[in-house]
Amino acid sequence: MLALLSGSVVLLIVWFLVAGALPALRDGYLPRLLFDEHWQPGSARDPQFALMPMLAASVLVTALAALLAAPLGIAGAVFHRFYLPKRLAVWNQRMLELLAGVPSIVFGFWGLTVLVPLINRLHPPGQSLLAAGIVLALMILPTIALTSQSALRSVPESQLLAAAGLGMGRFATVFHIALPSARSGIGSGVLLAIARAVGETMAVVMVCGNIAKFPGSVFDPVRPVTATIALEMGYASSSHKALLYLAGLILVLVTGALTGWLAFGKRNAGEVS
Amino acid sequence: MTSVSSCSSNTSCTCGGLSLSDVSVHYGNFAAIREVSLTIPDCQITALVGPSGCGKSSLLHAMNRLTDLIPGCRVEGSVRDGVGRELTDPSLDVMSLRRRIGMVFQKPNPFPHSIRRNFEIPLREHGVSRSDLPDLMEKSLRDVGLWEEVSSRLDESAMKLSGGQQQRLCIARALALDPEVILFDEPCSALDPLASAVVEEHIAALRGRVTVVIVTHNLAQARRLADHVGVFWMRAGAGTIVEEGPAEVVFASPSDADARYYLSGVRG
Amino acid sequence: MKSPVSRRNHRRFSDLACGIVGAVAASLTLVVLGCIVWDLLRLGLPHLSWLFLTGEVADGGRSGGIGPVLVSTVMIVVIALAVAIPPGVGCALWLSEFVRPGTVPARAITGGVDLLASVPSIVFGLFGMAFFAQVLGLGFSILSGGLTLACMILPLLVRTTLTALQSLPVDLRPSAAALGLTQTTTIRKILLPAALPGILVGVTIGVARSLSETAALIFTSGYATRWPDSPGDSGRALSVHIYDLAMNIPNGAAAASASALVLLLMILVINSFASFLAERWLRRYHS
Repeated sequence: MLALLSGSVVLLIVWFLVAGALPALRDGYLPRLLFDEHWQPGSARDPQFALMPMLAASVLVTALAALLAAPLGIAGAVFHRFYLPKRLAVWNQRMLELLAGVPSIVFGFWGLTVLVPLINRLHPPGQSLLAAGIVLALMILPTIALTSQSALRSVPESQLLAAAGLGMGRFATVFHIALPSARSGIGSGVLLAIARAVGETMAVVMVCGNIAKFPGSVFDPVRPVTATIALEMGYASSSHKALLYLAGLILVLVTGALTGWLAFGKRNAGEVS
Repeated sequence: MTSVSSCSSNTSCTCGGLSLSDVSVHYGNFAAIREVSLTIPDCQITALVGPSGCGKSSLLHAMNRLTDLIPGCRVEGSVRDGVGRELTDPSLDVMSLRRRIGMVFQKPNPFPHSIRRNFEIPLREHGVSRSDLPDLMEKSLRDVGLWEEVSSRLDESAMKLSGGQQQRLCIARALALDPEVILFDEPCSALDPLASAVVEEHIAALRGRVTVVIVTHNLAQARRLADHVGVFWMRAGAGTIVEEGPAEVVFASPSDADARYYLSGVRG
Repeated sequence: MKSPVSRRNHRRFSDLACGIVGAVAASLTLVVLGCIVWDLLRLGLPHLSWLFLTGEVADGGRSGGIGPVLVSTVMIVVIALAVAIPPGVGCALWLSEFVRPGTVPARAITGGVDLLASVPSIVFGLFGMAFFAQVLGLGFSILSGGLTLACMILPLLVRTTLTALQSLPVDLRPSAAALGLTQTTTIRKILLPAALPGILVGVTIGVARSLSETAALIFTSGYATRWPDSPGDSGRALSVHIYDLAMNIPNGAAAASASALVLLLMILVINSFASFLAERWLRRYHS
């Protein structure tokens, strides 16, 4: 009974989203989401519903964050596993665990008060795709580093010994033996981080600039889907509200698909070994 | 440093032996082996026998500096190769050393890549040109009798091979680097008797080509393989060699009492 | 074949380069993240005082303190835990003791729980506002916020409890059955107490997640900064307070930094407690 309740909360949520989004779908807004030029859903005279720039912003911000965080996190994990002495490695891991717990609002706040002015000096206005990407990257960095570390730890000792016995240096051991072996573990860590980045709201809304247009460069302000929901759900009504539910539904579908992919990969990996 | 070509005949062999004097291995405060002296003759098969926990593997690891990888592990004494170079010298290029002194482990440990990659990775690491790879691989696989069995599936994962095949692949992988010495750490103990016999046969075939040092628990195997034997026993809490010499002498008339009992099957 | 000496130099170079790149990456990570903490300390520490922790919110938060905010936050977290723990633990018990894993109902429930774990927090906010605040008529209230958070931490509780139950020694169940204990007794007297530390770890992490949450709370528990009288009142969570100060209040940065420091400290203490618990628990069963 309790289990049923726990399992079905998600159904309730999805049902709510679908029911909320239904008016938007029924009234044939779908083509307008793709082809409208502006986002002014509340306007009485000329409501326009261009959702594409926001979807694009979500994708861009997430991709930028992953591109920044993945190499750093993985390289850091390699260093942690193959170069750092044990005693320091323990501390490195503790620090990362601590940082993984920092709330997203803190990252957002730091981005707003420190990072945005810095970028502004480089190229105004500061609140930008770049700022959002960096803040998100910092947020998911500990996750990627920690999952990569544990993936590298699970590379069998016998293989590292074989590499040493064949007179292979650390570089070759890392690139030809350890990283290929840990590939799936590192990959699922990155995927997990991407799922988190797609759904992240607070860290992004504070630094992205919130302008619903396709960005021309990394210094242009953007507005991802999550930010749109956070900014507008307080006052949205009728068709505008339905659109926000639709946006929420899209988010759940994307993160759900990522999670499903992860679980599926894990099950397959489990069957092989 | 010149790479030594493996010798083709038993008579004029120059692959190089090893001579150990007063070697001790410590793990922190624990002494695994104390003051071992041993001569490993050129191009012969030397078997190290004795009960578990006597430090046979530690000694083997000290010979190609795998002991460097273990935190807190300390090696004292001297290990010299055929031309008298000190192998415990900290400034020695350990990677080249390990190329010249290869190792085959107790559990087969092919890399989880294709059979071809298992050769490519270490050979490329040691600067062998890409065009030489196929020939070297084929030659090494033939040396362990694996070529006929795997030549049609070189690009399949090495993990799909049977345990015995995996172990022979590991031997071939070590051979491909053209070593002077190969160290075998109980190479058959994780295999079934049939696979074990095949592996043993190919180790025997290395006689005269490379210097072989093999640690084994299997006295019958040591009798079949060895030209030279070292018997380990515990003395004062640490392992040491109590008997050493040509196989026929050691097996026929050991002078040490523990060795005599051990080799006759009364003890150990 | 290249000469061994040049091979050796080449290898030394690549090993070193690999190490340097790794070292730069690892230290960059720690340094930048350390900067964040340092900046918060620099901006917020001067603002922090006992009065700040206990005082009323004044001037939009620029002066005064965060007393009512802290009280609201604690109330929200307590409600979330009280609501989420029974179904969470119950669900885990059912999954580990009453159904065989891999069967259709077990898979459906685990799938549902995992999917729930993947839902972004802003969507919880959207749902919480529509369902708890509007459909159930709870309005912007601490209760709405707590219930929304309960949905959010439910999958976490299920997962940690399930892990705790599954990592108990396997022979516990047959040995209890051999003594003629009923399943209910086994669960109540043996399994749950044994798994308690693991469950507690889950609850602790749940507290940390609830405290960190902002997006799910803005439109469920609301913005009010008064001292809350009852769970029916609107009450602003600490994270929402930081958001409001940073985004909507000019010159709110100092107070926001101080609030962020308080939040960070709470999370730090709670997470350390969780890992302390986890370590002790691991030692008990796995050594």
